[in-house]
Amino acid sequence: MRKNIKKATSLALVMVMAASLAACGKSSGTGDAGGSGDSKTSEGGSGDSAGGDVTLRFSWWGGDSRHEATEKAIAAFEAKNPNIHVEPEYGAWSGWEEKQSMNIIGGNAADVMQINWNWIDSYSQGGTTFADLHQYEDTLDLSQFPAESLAQCEVDGKLMAVPVAITGRVFYWNKTTFDEIGVDLPTDEASLRAAGQAFAAYDADYYPLALGEYDRMIFLVYYLESKYGKAWVEGGQIQYSEAEIQEGLDFITSLEQDHVIPTLSVIAGDMADSLDKNAKWIDGKYAGILEWDSSASKFRQAIVESTNKPNQEFVIGEFLKFGDHDGGFTKISMGLAVAANSQHPKEAAMLIEFLLNDAEGVEICGTERGIPCSQAALKVMDEKSLGDALVKEANAKVVSFSKFPLDPKFEHNDLKANPDGVYYKVFGKLSAGEIDSATAASDLVKGINECMGN
Amino acid sequence: MNKKSGFSKFLSENIGFLYIVPWLIGFLLFKVYPFGSSLIYSFTNYDLFNGISKSGIMNYQTIFTDSDILRAFGVTFKYALFDVPLKLAFALFIAYILNFKLKGVNFFRTAYYIPSILGGSIAIAILWRAVFNTDGLINAVVKALGGNPINWMASANGALFVIVLLRVWQFGSAMVIFLAALKGVSQDLYEAASIDGAGKWTQFFKITVPLITPIIFYNLITQLCQAFQEFNGPFLVTKGGPNGATTLISVLIYNNAFLRHKMGMACAQAWVLFIIVGVMTAIAFVSQKKWVYYSDEDGR
Repeated sequence: MRKNIKKATSLALVMVMAASLAACGKSSGTGDAGGSGDSKTSEGGSGDSAGGDVTLRFSWWGGDSRHEATEKAIAAFEAKNPNIHVEPEYGAWSGWEEKQSMNIIGGNAADVMQINWNWIDSYSQGGTTFADLHQYEDTLDLSQFPAESLAQCEVDGKLMAVPVAITGRVFYWNKTTFDEIGVDLPTDEASLRAAGQAFAAYDADYYPLALGEYDRMIFLVYYLESKYGKAWVEGGQIQYSEAEIQEGLDFITSLEQDHVIPTLSVIAGDMADSLDKNAKWIDGKYAGILEWDSSASKFRQAIVESTNKPNQEFVIGEFLKFGDHDGGFTKISMGLAVAANSQHPKEAAMLIEFLLNDAEGVEICGTERGIPCSQAALKVMDEKSLGDALVKEANAKVVSFSKFPLDPKFEHNDLKANPDGVYYKVFGKLSAGEIDSATAASDLVKGINECMGN
Repeated sequence: MNKKSGFSKFLSENIGFLYIVPWLIGFLLFKVYPFGSSLIYSFTNYDLFNGISKSGIMNYQTIFTDSDILRAFGVTFKYALFDVPLKLAFALFIAYILNFKLKGVNFFRTAYYIPSILGGSIAIAILWRAVFNTDGLINAVVKALGGNPINWMASANGALFVIVLLRVWQFGSAMVIFLAALKGVSQDLYEAASIDGAGKWTQFFKITVPLITPIIFYNLITQLCQAFQEFNGPFLVTKGGPNGATTLISVLIYNNAFLRHKMGMACAQAWVLFIIVGVMTAIAFVSQKKWVYYSDEDGR
């Protein structure tokens, strides 16, 4: 009898353990993960807790200052809406897309998501992954956003995300280094090459400009657009011939040869995660970058707070002239989206409204996500002189200069992934001398066409 | 009275099976099912966001014709070729030294084991970069000695050396297993050999090594499997560079699966890797007849 009790107890334990395995699975009452796209099904939902209280999950990536500002904004939102509780989920960019895309496909995405613009193209699944925010216009004032920006966030007429900011690439220089070497800041090809020579004569470790693989692709597009006055891709088609692209690639190779930019193996040898964390940028050996306007603060901070060479001067450069046209593009840097299977899409829209249009939310977030698209936010920022002056200046400069459009597939992971994306492979092999520029141009066109589905 | 109730009888007859039910459920759900489904997916163009629209052997055709993928397999082979022997030799060497009665030997055993616990963490990646970057620790020493700094990432072999060394440095677990094996070698044999005039090296190669060949074989198999699946070093330290020189196949599998969501291709690459590891393991098993000595068997 006693033996049987022992056995029964053991068996019960086994069953508890087996049940605990089942608990590892997703417990969700949210229905179909893929979603029908009908986000009205639970509008105003009171769902997951008693008393009508609502819990929202809000996910974003960024640095510490963005996290702090957003958490403060969430606290202010909760104070204003006591029945809504917001659970923040945030982290650094590294690995973030992989994690979030898995959450999306698993039906476990946060109610409100900060998304990259190209995620709309990559992950919207025909407009079913994210809620159609047009349906919440009574809560979310979409009239504050430029119509063309909203249009870029639509799939089949459904608004997948609200654009947060417009961004573009700007030249930044470490003026302290240029002054130290005694050369003017570059404004065109001749002055850029002259800087390369001066830097080489000063110290072989010093370069006036540093460009990684993806930076080179953006620089190539900037150069070609400046010279030929055509967008890189339009209507899903590359607008340049292989000969034109080859000429652009030869131009980049010549910059390496003239000591304007370091080879990719030199940059790889620095073993830094990114240029702002590269010791050679921090200590002024790399004295120029082509970077997003919204990244100005972190690059400036890196050289101002350098241990070996503190308080270096960081300045926004002129757009280099390579032809008769103003090259470069602007794009929506990121958007805020609501998961299609959110139980509380209306409350989620309220949170977006607070962060992007409400004076209190705008004041707290400042320029942490770039210069806002929202007219209401811009008005608040102007009235209260909010935001980083450097970021504002850089943004004004790029928005007024670079007018070419960007195809959302430009940032597709088939092209941009490290180390096996097309950009990385083509520029890596070209820089290492494994292929010539004709092959590089051909490989680039082939890879992009495959990505575009041509 | 003695007759067991139906439930008791069921318990008695099936208790062993019931005990392993939790493991069995986990095994079927998390091992067998993914294993089988990945084989099926490998013959499709399964994309997590777009589903399956095509079936066939196209993934395998791509794997065996795409020069970048073939190169990744080649780099993986090269990595394993250097990593496994170096790690085994180093682990055995250190274990042999730590088998002597030295002062503070327990401290050294712990110290040498610690790197294998740290594994391929982010902290280790940062440490490794700080050691090997052009302004890093090693180049600081090189400069102090009057040499020119080395850009480890400028050449394919230099970058590969960096990630091979990272794995070899984590020799602790293999070392502990070797240490346990060395403890099992009878001291009588060494004493007899000494009397016969055998030196330390002769004793090592004629007594120690033959007697621990089963453990060498075990470590060879485990290290071989791990080397072919290595991910952390190339992903965290060299990022597959320069120019694909440290892009092991595991990095491509990861990017295809989780960055591009091309599960079909990722599964096919994983299956090719699995078959390669299986073949290498089979070769090792066949070869053991020639060099592994099992004390309970006669004639060898």
